[in-house]
Amino acid sequence: MDKMKRLIIILFSFLLSACSHDMNRREIDEINFIHVMGIDFSEGEYVLTAIYSSSQGADPEKGSVGDEETSEGRGRTPFEAFQDLKLKNKKSVSIANTGYFLIGERAAQNGIGICVDFLSRDETVKMESLVFVTRDVEAAYFISQSIEKGQTVHEDLEAVEQKQQELVTRNDNTLVNILNDLENNITSGIVPYLIAEENSFLLQGYAVFDKLVLVDYLDMDTSSGINFIKNIIRAYPIYLKNNVGLSISYSKSRIKSKLDNNKVKIIIRLNFETMVKENNSKENIFSAKSLNSLTDMQNDYIRKIMQKATNYSIHTGRDILQIARLVQNQHSKKWSDLVDDWSSMISDIEYEFDIKSQITKSFILSTGK
Amino acid sequence: MVIDMENRINSAWLTKLFTKSGDVVIRPIKINQNNITVYLFCVDGLINQALFDDAVFRSLKFDPYLANCVTERDMMDYLLEGGAYHVFTKEETDYQLLLKYVLSGMVALIFDSEEKAIIYDIRMFEKRSIQEPSEENVMKGSKESFIEVMRMNTALIRRRIRSEYLVIETLSVGRISKTDIALLYISNIADFVTVNKIRERINSIDIDNISTPAFIEEFLVENKHSIFPQIMYTQRPDRVSANLSDGRVALVVDGIPFAYILPCQLPMLMQSPDDYANHFLVGSSLRIIRYLSMIVTLFLPAFYIAATTYQSQMLPVQLALSTQAAKQNVPFSSASEVLGLLISFEILIEAGLRLPKAVGTAMSILGGLVVGQSAVAANLVSPAVVVIVSLAGISGFIMPNQDLSSGIRLSRFILAILAALGGFFGLAIGLILLITHLCSLNNYNTAYISPFVDVEERNVKDTLFRFPIKHFKKRPKDIAPYNHIKQGNIKDG
Repeated sequence: MDKMKRLIIILFSFLLSACSHDMNRREIDEINFIHVMGIDFSEGEYVLTAIYSSSQGADPEKGSVGDEETSEGRGRTPFEAFQDLKLKNKKSVSIANTGYFLIGERAAQNGIGICVDFLSRDETVKMESLVFVTRDVEAAYFISQSIEKGQTVHEDLEAVEQKQQELVTRNDNTLVNILNDLENNITSGIVPYLIAEENSFLLQGYAVFDKLVLVDYLDMDTSSGINFIKNIIRAYPIYLKNNVGLSISYSKSRIKSKLDNNKVKIIIRLNFETMVKENNSKENIFSAKSLNSLTDMQNDYIRKIMQKATNYSIHTGRDILQIARLVQNQHSKKWSDLVDDWSSMISDIEYEFDIKSQITKSFILSTGK
Repeated sequence: MVIDMENRINSAWLTKLFTKSGDVVIRPIKINQNNITVYLFCVDGLINQALFDDAVFRSLKFDPYLANCVTERDMMDYLLEGGAYHVFTKEETDYQLLLKYVLSGMVALIFDSEEKAIIYDIRMFEKRSIQEPSEENVMKGSKESFIEVMRMNTALIRRRIRSEYLVIETLSVGRISKTDIALLYISNIADFVTVNKIRERINSIDIDNISTPAFIEEFLVENKHSIFPQIMYTQRPDRVSANLSDGRVALVVDGIPFAYILPCQLPMLMQSPDDYANHFLVGSSLRIIRYLSMIVTLFLPAFYIAATTYQSQMLPVQLALSTQAAKQNVPFSSASEVLGLLISFEILIEAGLRLPKAVGTAMSILGGLVVGQSAVAANLVSPAVVVIVSLAGISGFIMPNQDLSSGIRLSRFILAILAALGGFFGLAIGLILLITHLCSLNNYNTAYISPFVDVEERNVKDTLFRFPIKHFKKRPKDIAPYNHIKQGNIKDG
């Protein structure tokens, strides 16, 4: 028994020494943690712009982590650019704590797959980091402008993330989701895009990727329609024509697909609840009749938003709602017959909406003005 | 002539034996009427002189019956039948036992012709009064703790268990010290195999002197190489009585102000008397905090080393950045910082123990605050490491048992070194080895980490959580295999 114990200890020691030899031993202060990475394509090569905290200005007693610094790497591929970035940096560079990847418009037009492939093969990368597209500009420009204006880029992006979470129940623009889409050969994908406002970033809607290449930007309503259909809405404001403002407090959608002679019909059932947030109507909106009318109006409002998303898909033939995955899951046997012609079938998909809602709370003021 | 008397009960031999010992009294007492002389044999300072004078000496000098006794045998018979006014009287013919009794504070009357002695137990020596336990104090509950006198300690236990089945066997250990050890168990509950094994172990101890408690502990533990305590000590008689009722065995050693409890299991060491004095939810919460503290004290320094040296991606972004900022100007590696500070922490504890209380407190402030603060200011250690080591240190002291606390402190070092060598991989190896070691410990036929390895219903209810008392219906089967019903059904309300 003693011999066995000794053997186990020797074995463990051997394993420990062997494996630690292969490990990347580096003190935390010898690493530059990239908070935000911009991926661009400029002058025929990829440009990576990294933002990290420098030691200057760091005050541990005050909890300050130092000023933001940027560093740039160039190369024919993103990986080559990343190696260049590493070489140019004084310290070791790590993307283990990178929370945001900003993909410039031109890089996105070259293909999102090329941009994120090297990230997927890094064992330290955080899979829940968020990916955004910077509309009309390069990510580097986006970053430099922000720094010039005295903004802290990663804090601004955190604010964007928080705003996103106020509206939707989950962020689908995580690296892992995008890699999953790539893995499953999803023909069309969507990634949120950012625009630069005066002093902050603004999340506008979704950038559409067709065959992994950026092709279009969706407006806010169409993007919200997608969120409703994907069942990720947490809150959404409704502005009705009679000066009544409502806010969705609960939303649940179910999507069902039907196949009839290889023709796809999608039934979208949406249930949602709203609260009256503003009532500037001259009528009493809280009578049973008015409430019914309001309910119909809010149903129409949301239907139109969802129809924007489905109409876009029909008109462009891009599967931005990922109906392919739905049909594959719900009709796995018949999917093999459809898969080859799927691209051409997207425009022929018939959508049916079944929307039910109710207005739940009216708070203290129960009458109109 | 003297040589013939060697090792026999004889005043001349005893006088020669103790001729250089000033405290040993061998004094002739002549009964004048019949010309018989008996010898008083005792140790000055260990006997109650007033009681001896009153109960024994007065009888010897003035009892008319004794004056008429013709032989020593007549005198002995009379004294044994109550001639002297003392109840703890016995005749002794064994020379070795006579020496033991007298040297432990009894008084002997030597009858040379008979080569026998009469022993009177009128011991009285300076001892501490019963005080509050210094280590296991409770808000609600008994304030009594053991003292250095074995018989007093057994009396404290007997007072709590008024059962005829409570057995207090007295054993003796130490070739020179002849230290008394009381072996306590409840005969109709305890497992006799365990009792016999412990008795055999004690009887097999062949050592000159039991100078410190560790001497007994080392002989009694089954796995001597383990740093985890396999024998529980307590200062509290109520705790001993509770464990005796569970079927365990207690040992009370003369000169040691606490009792040992065997067999010992890890969950026992995490229990505190306060758990039972409070509401069960409060008790359970305190216990969970203790287990969490154990995890913190064991793994936090190692986790910090692994996370800051190898797998920094394990840290959340903000934490990584603040740790990085804190460590920016420190010239040492994280492992050196943590290990250095852990060693400093142990030095502070050790120094605090050795110094007088008042100086110890001042030194703790000086060491902990002034030196710590200065070390941070001088960029010798980062503030994060000070926090980590302090947190680990404080968490370690939450353990109710100091032996366990010491074991965990040592394990903490091993885990920190493994983390320094291999990051989380090293830490994982350390954890595997630790769990394997704990699982392999067998303590008097019981698993050390029972009931985590055997999910017997009753045991589980007093481990991580403290269930209401009404759920403690059974004793652990491995401790009390033949009598494990502890409590009848209780009607609620």
